[in-house]
Amino acid sequence: MSVPIRMAIAERELPSGLTLLAVHNPGVQTFAGVVSLDIRAGDEPTDRPGLAHLVGECLDEGTRHYDSLELSAAAESIGAMMEGNQRGGVVMCPATAQKEALALLHELVIEPEFPGREVRRVQAEVLTEIKADDDDPRTVAARRFRKEVYGDHPLGRPPQGTAKSVARLKPKDLRDYHDQWFRPAGGYVAASGPDEPEKMLDRLEKAFRDFRGKPHKHKAPPDVDLAPAGRDAHLPMPREQVHVFLGHLGIRRTHPDFYVLSVMDHVLGTGPGFTSRVSRKLRDEQGLCYSVSAGITGSAGEEPGTFTAYIGTSPEHRQKAVDGFLEEIRRIRSEPVSAQELQDVKDYLTGSFVFGLERNSNLAAYAIRARRFGLGFDFIQRYPDIIRAITAEQVRETAERHLHPDRLVVISAGAS
Amino acid sequence: MTATANLLPDVEVVELENGFKALLLERGPLPVVASVLWYRVGSRDEHTGETGVSHFLEHMMFKGTQRYAKGQIDLTTAKMGGSNNAFTDNDGTAYYFTLAADRWEQALEIEASRMRDCLLDPLEFASEKNVVLEELAMGEDDPWRPLYQAAESLLYQVHPYHHPVIGYRQDLERLSAQGMRDYYARHYGPNRAFLVVVGAIDKARAATRIRELFGSMPRAIERQEPLSEPAPMGERRAVLRTPHSVTRMCIGFPTCRMGERDDYVLDLLAHDLGNSKNSRLYRRLVLKEELLTEINVMNETRQYPGALLVLCELRDGVAPAVVEAMVRQEVQGLIEEGVAKKDLARIRAQIRASFLFQDEAVLDSAMKLARFEAGTPEGYRTLATVLPTYDSITNKELREVAAKYFDFDRAAVVWAVPAAGKGGKSASAKKGKVAPKKAKGAAEAKSGKAKKKAKAGKQKGGKGA
Repeated sequence: MSVPIRMAIAERELPSGLTLLAVHNPGVQTFAGVVSLDIRAGDEPTDRPGLAHLVGECLDEGTRHYDSLELSAAAESIGAMMEGNQRGGVVMCPATAQKEALALLHELVIEPEFPGREVRRVQAEVLTEIKADDDDPRTVAARRFRKEVYGDHPLGRPPQGTAKSVARLKPKDLRDYHDQWFRPAGGYVAASGPDEPEKMLDRLEKAFRDFRGKPHKHKAPPDVDLAPAGRDAHLPMPREQVHVFLGHLGIRRTHPDFYVLSVMDHVLGTGPGFTSRVSRKLRDEQGLCYSVSAGITGSAGEEPGTFTAYIGTSPEHRQKAVDGFLEEIRRIRSEPVSAQELQDVKDYLTGSFVFGLERNSNLAAYAIRARRFGLGFDFIQRYPDIIRAITAEQVRETAERHLHPDRLVVISAGAS
Repeated sequence: MTATANLLPDVEVVELENGFKALLLERGPLPVVASVLWYRVGSRDEHTGETGVSHFLEHMMFKGTQRYAKGQIDLTTAKMGGSNNAFTDNDGTAYYFTLAADRWEQALEIEASRMRDCLLDPLEFASEKNVVLEELAMGEDDPWRPLYQAAESLLYQVHPYHHPVIGYRQDLERLSAQGMRDYYARHYGPNRAFLVVVGAIDKARAATRIRELFGSMPRAIERQEPLSEPAPMGERRAVLRTPHSVTRMCIGFPTCRMGERDDYVLDLLAHDLGNSKNSRLYRRLVLKEELLTEINVMNETRQYPGALLVLCELRDGVAPAVVEAMVRQEVQGLIEEGVAKKDLARIRAQIRASFLFQDEAVLDSAMKLARFEAGTPEGYRTLATVLPTYDSITNKELREVAAKYFDFDRAAVVWAVPAAGKGGKSASAKKGKVAPKKAKGAAEAKSGKAKKKAKAGKQKGGKGA
């Protein structure tokens, strides 16, 4: 992209420790508000898997001023779409309705009441979802893969919990969890819309200045290391395809190798279209699948992500696919990527960034990410230079340190 | 908010003698451009024995042309920092790009090259056939897909909407490269396509380049009218025994064409029936009776009369007959009472907002223009009247249209129940896949749980990745 992108972002920290962010998106007639609090993977009690997820699902099931239906009707009446999640919530609306929308977002995130009847209904729905997930070989394989990779780390648990653990949860558990962890300190409220950032900050402050409460101390999740070598399991299910996950523990977003690995990912398995090596080889040349990918940076967050290679294929191709992944993993560790491949990926990464800045919700999320991971708001200006400076030998050497073909977990589910 | 006068975007229309048409819309401020090349060729153009060829051909359009070798279209796009993809549905096939403003014209070069000069190399054809068959297998494993396809096959017994977009396995297996070449030569040409470009463009320069690239293209054959679907003579039913442990249901009512006034009324009715927490079916069946985990109502109008589909996912142990009976009661209630005034205001606000959301990104904006251009008799100009039409609909009209279409004696009802020996007393569900993009945006405004859980198994093509 040869045209420089400038983005006006303003920031304000409230005495409560809540940080407000506002991104100017001129020319649109819409608005998005995002709340993302400092709630971490280890905050969910180990004996209550699925609690954090259920809290997120139930935020819109009744609040201090609205019951479940009233809250939904209030949002719809102003043309807003609003959803809660484990760390807060999101609202998108016409820009003319942003004040009302922020008031509803405040209500959703800060003042939910978790009424018993609604919690029990959502709980039953989640139990049904868990059951349907048990039917879905891709989810079955993904869940088992995470369990094998993460062990006792909270990310090894199924995010929705288990049928047993969810059935045990009580509305009081949800209220207690919300009281304890939905706190302002370390959290963010970001907005994106056509108004001037300072004006949006004023509006955010007005909406969220009564959000108070002392921070709770987070318990650090247990350390997690690479799993022992040679775990390979197949979970048979009567289906047409088999879904294969192969990989191991990955990195945090703040890891200094993140950018080199992002180039590696694009060469290896996450490039657009069919430009990546695994896509060209397993889909384009061998016709083994419709869906294939491999990468380590996509899942990197506050906690370590995973290096994951995935393919959905016919059962007779399972071994060929696994061998194909292995060959490409070994190759990228041992041979520098070609000058052409490297240049192609750099061109793509430095040119495609602008498309992530089109939607209000993306812009608000970008502002939060830039602050949370210490990237700086000028990150989009610096990013092209970071990418352009990466060398082929760096990619090889970094791949060698971060990819471990001898420590892979291979899990599949579906047709045998 | 009221409908405003500037609903029709300032589109420049370029029309060529060979029937090609381009819609150009300039907008900023980001230096990005989206293009959509829409062919009026879809699965409804396929004859018996060649089902799936439209979608398979869409895959092959990325596998090399006389000017761009295999892989070059993706590589060229990626090197420019852009993205591309495509999808096929019953009525059309669309190819789209998003690129930076200083290089977007490369998309025109690519589209011009593949309008008539796609290689369709036999070796590539054989390899890609395996990919398409894997895509088919993936769809067969999706619990919603067979349900949706069974409903379609019951609703359309004569019209070619009967067969799935992805085609039948045996047809795909038997299809030859020559068969696809013939199909391509017959259907792909400037008179069967139009282009939409939205973003930071110079319209005059774009128009000149479009004339240079597409002006000399030879026409393809004109599109044939498909057989009409006769009115059903009674209810049609099917019970599928699936390997899934959750019971699902689909009720489909034959309706009208996209863009007809009834289509707008059906959009409002679909919202009131099932597309929000406050909708009739959600309130009764999910919240009050606690029989369902999901409900989704889709007004699937197309270029030929489509259908309104009610998709339900049942809680464990719930009998489908009980759910069906309650859906019948609620539909009858809608016919008798229509939509309450306050609910109508809420639904209209949702629809207006969904129009604004579609203009946040250039590709969404281009796709909105393209869908209206492709699907409605007045083309993109319909956009000037969409919101005023919703505003003009009365409760009397809502009741009349509900009574006209929601007739169980013409409906298709499909239950998908666990096969014997497959756990569960009856039902349950999973969150997931996004509901298919509708032929126009208006009906996409959904909210609350209904939106979060909206899903359906409609086959869309797309080269994936």
